[in-house]
Amino acid sequence: MEPGKTLTAVKSVSLAEEYLADHFPIFPVLPGVLLLEGLIESASWLVRQKNNFAQSMVLLESVRNVRYKSFAAPGMQIQYTISVKTMEDNASSFIGIGVCGDEEIVAAQFTLRHFNLADENPKMARTDGQVVESMKKRWKLLWQEQ
Amino acid sequence: MAMSRDDIFNQVREVLVDALGLDDGDVTEDATLMGDLGAESIDFLDIVFRLEKAFNIKVPREELFPAEAVMNNPEYVSGGKVTAKGLAELKSRMPHTNFSEFEKNPDVNKIADLFTVGAIVNFIEGKLK
Amino acid sequence: MRWIWIDKFLEFESGKRAVALKNVTLAEEHLHDHFPGFPIMPECLMIEAMAQTAGILVGEARQFKEKVILAKIKNAVFYHYVQPGDTITLHAEIESIAPEAASTTGQIKRGDTLIAQISMMFSHVDKNLAGKHFPEENFVFTDMFNSLLSGFVDQKNAGGKN
Repeated sequence: MEPGKTLTAVKSVSLAEEYLADHFPIFPVLPGVLLLEGLIESASWLVRQKNNFAQSMVLLESVRNVRYKSFAAPGMQIQYTISVKTMEDNASSFIGIGVCGDEEIVAAQFTLRHFNLADENPKMARTDGQVVESMKKRWKLLWQEQ
Repeated sequence: MAMSRDDIFNQVREVLVDALGLDDGDVTEDATLMGDLGAESIDFLDIVFRLEKAFNIKVPREELFPAEAVMNNPEYVSGGKVTAKGLAELKSRMPHTNFSEFEKNPDVNKIADLFTVGAIVNFIEGKLK
Repeated sequence: MRWIWIDKFLEFESGKRAVALKNVTLAEEHLHDHFPGFPIMPECLMIEAMAQTAGILVGEARQFKEKVILAKIKNAVFYHYVQPGDTITLHAEIESIAPEAASTTGQIKRGDTLIAQISMMFSHVDKNLAGKHFPEENFVFTDMFNSLLSGFVDQKNAGGKN
């Protein structure tokens, strides 16, 4: 990770993932939207880390041109690479790609919006705090300092 | 409603920018759809649908992008190169395309280079007459 | 967890448009991770709900002869988040359809509130766009999807037994 700039993350696809039984029977592949979710989650971490977990909510605002070039099947490991295009306090935009070795799996351009629930309703400040604490714990799990 | 070639080009550019997520400046006459602009199979269809909507015409995909029919026929492709018969077939299906460069080295892998922005503009111009 | 993101169809006009409904409930396990303390439906799953609505519409338009798979999300914009207890409706419309692919556009609403606008493209993979090989059977349109259409279309065309 280059804080505020790029992040690489990996996701392994396992036959143990329940939804694969439906997607699809006899031809299990990671659903396209979950490939996109991988890109979005990776970008969200870049935002949270850069903003020092100042906001609880980091949500997808828009996405365009998500292209699925190949299938991600059980046994494969997808590597996501996210590059920041713009990064502000409450909004950010990215380009993301997912590959498996040399094979390109997915590419997308998207924007996120980030805010606290308390911005609209001050009573939600405690909830914001709860979400942020959980995200900080999750980050420790995902990002092991080398 | 007579559209000038420039009008057509601008509309085609808008279609390509939207379909491929590009900047206006990326779309030049000579830019190849696959090589330069990064279009893939599904994008070709996206482009066809959008062109149909933008110009209010029907665009059978095999008319605009007939390469697949040619590439899979052994009469038209031999030893990785397009045969004279194949070349004639491509030319008859794609009167909107400039073959002069391709003819110098009719490598089957270079068929994709025939699909330039200019070729699409020519095709639309022909359809609108 | 079952990979089904719509609960029923409300309207179905073969070859044209369809409206489906989804109830968002705390029984959905993933909500507890998204986010802990404030569960909301992940935007990607809203996209999937739209993809299933539009995908069935596209598949049925060609009598489920082909396997219809999401190939490209052209554009998706989200205006509000969705919470457990909400009911969302997915309104999908076929824009263009050809033997090899289809293009659809749609909106997700919560009552009258516009939640999202999504347009996408599906590939009819038996027309072998990607040059890949697939098993014969139509594994995309399973019985789970068929049962959603009962009462809307003549069932004898649907099914994974092609």
